[in-house]
Amino acid sequence: MNYFQATLRKKLSKDFDIQNIAKLASINLSEDEQKELDNDLSIILEHVKALSDLKLDTEQKEIFIHPLEKELELQEDKLVESLTHEEALSNAPESKDGKFVVPPSME
Amino acid sequence: MDITNLPIRKLNTLFSKKELKPSELYSQIFDNAANSEASLHAHLTLFEDENIKKAKESDLRFDSGTSESLLDGIPIAIKDNINIKGYKTTCSSKMLSNYTSPYDATVIKKLNERQTLFTGKTNLDEFAMGSSTENSAFGLTRNPWDTDFVPGGSSGGSAASVGARSSVAALGSDTGGSIRQPASFCGLVGFKPTYGTVSRYGLIAFASSLDQIGPITKTVDDSRIIFSAISGDDPRDATSIVNNQLDIPSDKTAKIGVIKELMGDGISDEARNEVNKVTEILKSSGYEVKEISIPIIELAISIYYLIAPAECSANLARFDGVRYGLRVDGKTSYEMMENTRAEGFGKEVKRRILLGTYALSAGYYDEYYGKALQARKEMIEGFIKAFNEVDYLISPTTPTQAFKAGEKTSNPLEMYMSDLCTIPANLAGLPAISIPTGVTSDNLPLGVQVMSRALSDDSLLNFSEIIEKEVQFNQQPKGWM
Repeated sequence: MNYFQATLRKKLSKDFDIQNIAKLASINLSEDEQKELDNDLSIILEHVKALSDLKLDTEQKEIFIHPLEKELELQEDKLVESLTHEEALSNAPESKDGKFVVPPSME
Repeated sequence: MDITNLPIRKLNTLFSKKELKPSELYSQIFDNAANSEASLHAHLTLFEDENIKKAKESDLRFDSGTSESLLDGIPIAIKDNINIKGYKTTCSSKMLSNYTSPYDATVIKKLNERQTLFTGKTNLDEFAMGSSTENSAFGLTRNPWDTDFVPGGSSGGSAASVGARSSVAALGSDTGGSIRQPASFCGLVGFKPTYGTVSRYGLIAFASSLDQIGPITKTVDDSRIIFSAISGDDPRDATSIVNNQLDIPSDKTAKIGVIKELMGDGISDEARNEVNKVTEILKSSGYEVKEISIPIIELAISIYYLIAPAECSANLARFDGVRYGLRVDGKTSYEMMENTRAEGFGKEVKRRILLGTYALSAGYYDEYYGKALQARKEMIEGFIKAFNEVDYLISPTTPTQAFKAGEKTSNPLEMYMSDLCTIPANLAGLPAISIPTGVTSDNLPLGVQVMSRALSDDSLLNFSEIIEKEVQFNQQPKGWM
């Protein structure tokens, strides 16, 4: 780690916790991966910080979802052709009696 | 005459005149695949047996004069993040290495209705995240012009396949340049249509407000034929729109803008020269060309690397070891999910999921994601203003020619920069095309990008065809032979 990266790490360490982010994202990271990703993300976040200093005229404008601002409409409530039960289960790692099987939620 | 070099319309004429059979074309295409796959690795799967049968059905339709489609019997390669029923769709990820699609994407349904042949599924950066196809879990693809170099990405397999003539054309997907950048690196036409004109149903989602399917082809007209076949609104994709095209002039009454922010720092001399070459040709043909400034473009990479990872972290939450894909055991459901995602995703995908998770997490949403959305809106308005002054915007497609395999894998930010010129069109939902215009001193191709107003795809293609005819780029890759 060079001086720049070390300073950056220190600066971001207050609010950036790779273990917590990995937990939120449900990805089990090895220690080596944590180190590497922590470093990568610090560099990327430093780059995108240019944005947080930006003063925009659009501050008050509504946030959009569709780049061409198409209004999203509700579909009519009618039956259409879709996957069969068997097709929907065909890629399941484990299924039984037409249902997905998962390990218990608690030990 | 090498029939695999011919454009689609010419092939269709030869089929109709009974001077060539679709099965003969397919056999030549498959020979090219057999000869190039070992050095390029463009395809993950090849569909040989089914195609021999389908090509013979095409032969019969042309024999009896009953063929009605320009794409009848034309072999097209499909990026492996687009579902074809009954075949694997891996997204080049260990997560989906055994996933068999139970349905057809809308684009596949439309191409099937036109009796298109599918050569197979092409390699990509895992879940379309990357710019070199080096992030594939199944090995990298190489550039058909020179195998030391990358073909670009993420649709690198599609571009390498068309380059090596192991398909007549290909479908790719473009979230930040993934059709146009590999097209430029491989000397091909790559077209990203207006957001919403092509249904995303059946395309495995990466960043839904940016993703768009489009063609990689040898000519502009081939892209036009494929776009016309795959576009149209679709009840299965709520973001799809009716393809009501604006008519913009493409003759010399059209005004041309060169984007100032994409001609300065970070752009190689060679890339800049290609743009200058094209604008000089246009000027001498009587077009008015002027410089246009859209200052917020300088922030495009920052905006994109907040919005795309944020959407990616939400979209890829579905890969949890429950309904499809890989499962790695754990004592509880949570452990199973954490282990599955640790094992199933590669480094770049993890990087983007974590970045997106952070950008969306409590306390940082406004600072990062919210700000990026506002800046995106500003960019859309910047383009609207620019299009009040000009009809087409020109820039390099890529800041440089193709880079060597391994050259940028250790620095993610450097890799991200290769999408500098292509990202703005995705953020603004605009149609954009890369047209091959020249070859660098390393004998690698380079392209020029043209953008136009939303829903002016047909006009953009007409204008691009004028550039294509003037430039006369007719070189072919030989690096894989």
